[in-house]
Amino acid sequence: MPPIIASMVMQSTPPVPPPGYGALCRALPVLCGLLASGPALAAEFHFYYAGEAGGALLGARQGAAEARIQGRFLGQDYRLEKHPGEGTLPPQGIGIVAAVPAPALLALARAHPEVAVFNVAADDDALRQSCLPNLLHVLPSRRMKADAVAQWQALHPDAGVQAQAWHPAFVKFAARDLNKRFRKAHNTAMDDAAWAGWAAVRMSADLIARGDSQDAPGLLEQLRTALAFDGQKGEALNFRANGQLRQPLLLVNDGGLVGEAPVRGKDLDSLGARSACPSP
Amino acid sequence: MPGTILTLLTLLCILPIQAAPTGRAFVTNERSNSLSVLDTDTLELIQTLPIGKRPRGIGLAPDGSELYIALSEENRIVVLDPDTLQVLRSFPAGSDPEAFAVHPNGHIYISNEDDARATVYDPRDGRQVADIPVGLEPEGVFISPDGKRVVVTSESTNMLHVIRVPEHDIIKNVLVGARPRAGTFNRAGTVLYASSEVAGEISRIDAVSFRILRSTRLDEDRAKPKDVLLDKQEQRLYVAGGRANAVFVLDPESLELRKRIPVGKRTWGLAMSADGSRLFTTDGVSGTVSVIDTTTDSVIKTIAVGKFPWGIVIDD
Repeated sequence: MPPIIASMVMQSTPPVPPPGYGALCRALPVLCGLLASGPALAAEFHFYYAGEAGGALLGARQGAAEARIQGRFLGQDYRLEKHPGEGTLPPQGIGIVAAVPAPALLALARAHPEVAVFNVAADDDALRQSCLPNLLHVLPSRRMKADAVAQWQALHPDAGVQAQAWHPAFVKFAARDLNKRFRKAHNTAMDDAAWAGWAAVRMSADLIARGDSQDAPGLLEQLRTALAFDGQKGEALNFRANGQLRQPLLLVNDGGLVGEAPVRGKDLDSLGARSACPSP
Repeated sequence: MPGTILTLLTLLCILPIQAAPTGRAFVTNERSNSLSVLDTDTLELIQTLPIGKRPRGIGLAPDGSELYIALSEENRIVVLDPDTLQVLRSFPAGSDPEAFAVHPNGHIYISNEDDARATVYDPRDGRQVADIPVGLEPEGVFISPDGKRVVVTSESTNMLHVIRVPEHDIIKNVLVGARPRAGTFNRAGTVLYASSEVAGEISRIDAVSFRILRSTRLDEDRAKPKDVLLDKQEQRLYVAGGRANAVFVLDPESLELRKRIPVGKRTWGLAMSADGSRLFTTDGVSGTVSVIDTTTDSVIKTIAVGKFPWGIVIDD
């Protein structure tokens, strides 16, 4: 895979004038640029990406770019780098975004037991029964997708649909805005893997921003117990005990978006198997 | 006696000349690209006029002489005479202008949703006064009564950005629950309230230290709060409940739920009549405006408007 360099996530964002420098910045923008990286940077957090280049990587980059926008108001910076392959992560290492098949994913999770490993590519149901406390499945499982299709078909008997985590034509709940930002930055449509990569980084940064988790084990704990993530699907999202992200799914017929699951009257736990893993 | 007359004359000269109120409510219909004009007395629809693409934010000049409407897909603000309903002029207002608030000095503070910016315009000549980088998907804009603080919510960065006027720098960023959408100050300017749509939360925040004093989660899964508004006596906080299809009435101090008023589907916008007797809601999916009598906190009339009514302002 091509090397992932940190500068890729350093999308240019205008400097934020520090308090008191607004007028100066208007008069002398260059000077302001020197002065004004906002609050002194107190913390830098690194995500590591494991997998081939593709939608998941673009999504993780988008997530990191957005995390930087949030971080510039809080003195926090974020980077996305290539997973080193072997050994422990440096102290700034906060999470691993993994777009790899099941065996490699399990190996990664076991190699970094105190670091959140986000599964953004594999939908195998068996993975959801592994009960590794640091393995978090951002993508929906096959079972969740099957449940979503069954719910839809119970209401629309002839409809041949498939379920997805995301769709580039989704507009509700500000999905329009996320799709627009992603397309503008990467010149391609956001697919399921891209949404999952984005969500993995954004949900982590949202918790870090709130200040309760400044290292990998702390973040993992917060992800499993205190998450209320706005995945731009209208609901606050969190993880089941088996590490699967509860989430609404989109129903697609012939490439076109036709509906959402859970259908009216059902809740998010109507999609997917109950967790057989111990609660955190 | 001559002294009194002189004082009166002086007062007349100092006070801004208010345009006579038209007694109308104006509603932007996001998906029918139109403006609905309602009579606030008879509560009837007077007129619907085409206005431009994706109208959302709406507001009146401090003296009531002009009506401003943000056309999100045309990247501009159109200026109307609220009396004759003639378009007076329009000006570019940055990328994707969504919500805005009109400052007591007449300037318009706008959130530019797809550009992570707040911009400030002088509607008299369309000049851009300031351009302030904020978080992702900026949305709600509200201004302290003394005009010295403007708060912009960024929905996807989960923050309230507190902007100082006239410096136009950010002096504080307040992290709140997921997807902050709207807010309001109390009349004294000591406290502000903000809604977090996805978290289903309302926060009460000290307007000096900008510390969160209290947050409450609306105890209803479908409650996705948007607009918040205090009643005239500041004894009640009204919250547009989104998918809950209701307006929630909270105690402004404890944030405890006092009442739930069922309205149309997907209620987002709120506006209060000048005398405080009537609260108007925009119900997005129903395509209606619900009128609530604030003495009983119950709906007295439902008025059909356009598709996805978004913003509402009352000129009374």
